[in-house]
Amino acid sequence: MRTVIGVGCLVVVTACIAGCQQKNAAASTPTSAQSPAPRFPDGRVRFDRAPGEKGYWDSPSVSGLVEDGAKVEMDAAGKLANLADAAKVAPFQPWALALYEYRQKNGLKDDPMHECIGPGNPRQMHTPGGVRIIQDRNYNRVYLLFGGGNRSWRVVYLDGRTPPNPDEVVGTFYGNAVGKYEGDTLVAESIGFNTRFWFANGGLPHTEALHLTERFKRPSHDVLEYEVTIDDPRTYTRPWKASWTLRWVPGDIPEQFCETGQK
Amino acid sequence: MRLGLALVLLGASVAVAQEGFPLDGTWRGERAGAGKVPETIVMVLQWDGKKIGGVINPGPSAIQIADAQLIPAGWKVTIAAQAANGKPIRFEGAIENLGEYNRAIAGTWTQGGKSFPVRMVRE
Repeated sequence: MRTVIGVGCLVVVTACIAGCQQKNAAASTPTSAQSPAPRFPDGRVRFDRAPGEKGYWDSPSVSGLVEDGAKVEMDAAGKLANLADAAKVAPFQPWALALYEYRQKNGLKDDPMHECIGPGNPRQMHTPGGVRIIQDRNYNRVYLLFGGGNRSWRVVYLDGRTPPNPDEVVGTFYGNAVGKYEGDTLVAESIGFNTRFWFANGGLPHTEALHLTERFKRPSHDVLEYEVTIDDPRTYTRPWKASWTLRWVPGDIPEQFCETGQK
Repeated sequence: MRLGLALVLLGASVAVAQEGFPLDGTWRGERAGAGKVPETIVMVLQWDGKKIGGVINPGPSAIQIADAQLIPAGWKVTIAAQAANGKPIRFEGAIENLGEYNRAIAGTWTQGGKSFPVRMVRE
């Protein structure tokens, strides 16, 4: 019996190592894509599970940030298929484009995630491994739990607090986020980032002036629409947007932890 | 043994992290000084989106940087300032190990009619 369990586990682990991406894609095959999003009794959209349900968000439709409307091919790590497309990715300042190209030419070898440094925001939203969006209605907060990267979490405060002065906070990987609902859309504004992470696969640069506006929508049970506006006037010539979707995956976020040396 | 491991881990952690604008931060190096004692140079640089500002040797005798440029082609750096005695200071160099947190700027420091090789490492 033990042997059977052992072999079974080995098969599962081997299958996962062979293709976690494929497994996620299969698991997220929409079974109720057109079903409406679940709601709380007062009508507010639920971004997480309905009572008695198990599931989480995964299978991001992109592998990196690209300005909406631009057509750019990149691999799962955010490496461009054609380096000449670099300038299409975002409205870079000259130094930022040069740094992005440098990182791309280097095969992304300096990616802090290789050393288990957190993906930060919004990279976490296109890092496979699972996301849950827990609406804590008692404390007017939203917790985002991440299974990918270094398995971390962040908070969006919806209690009307004033965001801190970005010049007076110690920058963090997820910044300080406050939010509100606009109809069925959760809108989060974040400032106060450090610069010790790549905020997207592929090595897009940013500075401590980074200001993110995220919009979360759940148009149906199985689809999460995510849009982020990047405003970092020290890095980009104007604010720009990127958007993608995540799919609902039945079950629990698989347990995994980052270990140094996983490159 | 444990101390050794901790130092190795610390070294590993600071060696790989990246930062935003390549010149932002504090840079420290040495140049030849009077006699055999080298003079320490500390520069604090910050990018505001349009201009690189900063000081040389922060403190009561700090020297404001008048002009600093980063040229992405080759990651060349030029810095101009004026010493307390009114004489110009000029540095010309380039960034080394751009992808690392503890990257360096290496080049030539010209002050008082003399030029010195300088290598400043980002702290």
